[in-house]
Amino acid sequence: MHITGWTVALAALGAVPAALTQSRGVAVLWLLGVAALAAVDAWLAPRTSSVGVRREAPASVRLSQAATTRLVVANVGRRRVRGAVRDAWQPSAGATGERHAFALAAGESASFRTMLRPTRRGDRAAGPVTVRTFGPLRLAGRQRSLEVPARLRVLPEFASRRHLPSRLQRLREIDGRTAVRLKGAGSEFDSLREYVVGDDVRAVDWRGTARRGEVVVRTYRPERDRRVVIALDCARLSAARVGDAPRLDASIEAALLLAALTTHAGDRVQATAFDRAEQARAAAGGGAGVVAALASALAPVEPSLLEPDWPALVRLVESRVSQRALVVLLTTVDTSAMDSGLIEAVAALQRRHQVLVGSVEDPELGTLLDGRGDVDALYGAGAAARALLEREAVATRLRQLGAEVVLALPDDLAPAVCDRYLALKSAGRL
Amino acid sequence: MRGGAAAGGRRVAVVTAGPALVTADMGPGLGERLRRNRLGIVALALLVAVVAALVLGTRAGDVDPLSTENSTPTGARAVAQILRGHGVEVRQVDRLARAAVQDPAATTLVIANPSQLTAGQATALREYPGDLVLLGESGGALAALGLPLTEEPVYLPETVRSGCTDPDAVAAGTARVDLVGLVATDATEVCFIGRSGAGAFARVTDGTRTVTVIASSGIVTNAQLADAGDAALAVRTLGRHAQAVWYVADGLDPTLPTWSGSGSGDVPGRVPSSVDALPDFMPPGTGSALYALALAALVAAFWRARRFGALVREPLPVVVRASEATRGRARLYRRARAAGRAGASLRAAAALRMGRRLGVGRADGRDALVGAVARASGRPAVDVDRLLYGPPPADDAALLTLISELDTLESEVHRP
Repeated sequence: MHITGWTVALAALGAVPAALTQSRGVAVLWLLGVAALAAVDAWLAPRTSSVGVRREAPASVRLSQAATTRLVVANVGRRRVRGAVRDAWQPSAGATGERHAFALAAGESASFRTMLRPTRRGDRAAGPVTVRTFGPLRLAGRQRSLEVPARLRVLPEFASRRHLPSRLQRLREIDGRTAVRLKGAGSEFDSLREYVVGDDVRAVDWRGTARRGEVVVRTYRPERDRRVVIALDCARLSAARVGDAPRLDASIEAALLLAALTTHAGDRVQATAFDRAEQARAAAGGGAGVVAALASALAPVEPSLLEPDWPALVRLVESRVSQRALVVLLTTVDTSAMDSGLIEAVAALQRRHQVLVGSVEDPELGTLLDGRGDVDALYGAGAAARALLEREAVATRLRQLGAEVVLALPDDLAPAVCDRYLALKSAGRL
Repeated sequence: MRGGAAAGGRRVAVVTAGPALVTADMGPGLGERLRRNRLGIVALALLVAVVAALVLGTRAGDVDPLSTENSTPTGARAVAQILRGHGVEVRQVDRLARAAVQDPAATTLVIANPSQLTAGQATALREYPGDLVLLGESGGALAALGLPLTEEPVYLPETVRSGCTDPDAVAAGTARVDLVGLVATDATEVCFIGRSGAGAFARVTDGTRTVTVIASSGIVTNAQLADAGDAALAVRTLGRHAQAVWYVADGLDPTLPTWSGSGSGDVPGRVPSSVDALPDFMPPGTGSALYALALAALVAAFWRARRFGALVREPLPVVVRASEATRGRARLYRRARAAGRAGASLRAAAALRMGRRLGVGRADGRDALVGAVARASGRPAVDVDRLLYGPPPADDAALLTLISELDTLESEVHRP
């Protein structure tokens, strides 16, 4: 049961007879009459069970892009139905124009579009569909909410993909496939060719030279088919906000860009998100679908307020890869890493693999560090400097273990991690 | 919202196409629902009945003293009923303007508690041509009405004989003097005079009308009406005419009495309405219209209160800034005035940055860094050493100085 604005207007119209008769009793009687009329109208309204609805939501949408979801409303009853539906979604799904009026004869159906512009990554669930039918007088009607499950997966924005072309260019330079640098740099033996002036004499292959009677040099190319394991820490520290988004979002950006780059470089990438247990996993056999699969797998990962279980991660990585791999840990390097087990985990992984630790830095820390306004700002700068030193100490310890450490602001983390990957690749350290 | 179906909807003829539609279940009918909740409905009805009975049963009655609706000991309901039994039409008005006396010559205007009359009302009553009865303490009203009487307090109540020639008093025989008594300032006859010299009853005839004052108002109350000759006195005094208009003054009503021929029109035989007596600048019916609109506002509240579907739950993410811990530490430094600790941190951070710029590692030690910085900045090594490794700043001022010097040094360091 619901009433419309017409009922209110009709009730307000009671002021006229009340004024003419100068009687409050008339006003009360008028109101009772309006109420009775509305009750009769609601009773005469078509049943809500004569309206059928169906949701057709798109499977996924990238954050910052708009999607439209379709709502099919059908009259499955025998009477003509005039009414309205509300296509409710979570507030963070950013639904606009979610109310639709309809007038359907028996057996007819109509479809409506609701615009969704999600404001957060993850799975956005739809609320119930509320159906209202109006009585013949449009004064009142029936109302019912129907559970029509629907879900929209909001993928990470992947804003860092704008860095991809320049990194691919660098990759081709390393690969020796561009005109800029004919000679490939890498560690994997490719072929022998004639020496030309300017070649590194260290690359001369003396055995081949003796056999051919002319000086030949070896050419190299970067290794291919290396394993890359990206591990995203979605535990306690990843929940903290850096800028407008949690740290985890910057880690996801970095993971996506790195996955796109490694796929182009011919390496095999797999990713895992974990806190105390694995929360999401994406493994790709190679090909173009890697980034999409990874984005879809990482989209619903939310930071948990738990302490990460680093030894479990080490066991996980060891069980997943049998050969030497590049293990990229996207986590937070701060003083808590001293006793959280991160250092031990890196040491354990570094024994067989190459470890790259990426950490999101807080731009606010830089602002605090530069504070010189007054004594309070100086204390803030002192505290920021202390945090910086502690983080630096952990990073130094990790570097001593042989791991690569990348500390970067949220927007710079993805390109910085990729640059370090390219550097490792060209140095043949994968 | 209306008409959106035509604009935004796309019609298809068939319903069955595509996956299944979700529909609401039919739900039980009205009769079924009533039958299912029989017990609840009966309980609700009983509850409503009990509450209604309680509300109606305990409705606060009229407790105004000397009101004809008041059945408590201080009321005057008994005398009003006796008068009605004698064929007198007793009409109580809540505003003096509603008195609307048609025929003053055949009407008794009874004013209870005349001490509560406003000055304007008392002056207007002086013009009233008909008979007037004042019940209870009169205060300033006696003088305002031009009566040659004054009031005296009566401390000891007593029942006394009439002691005068007034036929009503004589017929009553005895009456009780209590609380307030009357003393005449001229030859006016005062009846039922007690030992204090003040009487309970007086009648003044001026011109065509008589003004009767029953100062000891207890005479007409429910409690004392049966005592002595109270009933006879009250009934004879109040029942002189076939009509009695009863007004209990409460001091809150400023309106003036109305009677046939009063008011600005001075049309003989026309009784002014209360609108004439209390002119209102709003058109008539405004109050009722506003009442109706208030009821409509209530309906509007129901209209808006019914939501178009429930709110949808949103699991909110954690909103903790990553810099919270650092800011907390800064507040601790500030509260502890830890200038030395903050200075040490800033020095170490500056040393780290300069060392990195100059290619001096942390492992190379203090002397290597001081030497490199001194060479790069062109400052004496002693000065650099004091800035980077000197004694910690003791207070805020020392901290400010140190950091500003340190910043200057850092800006001077360039890669050699």
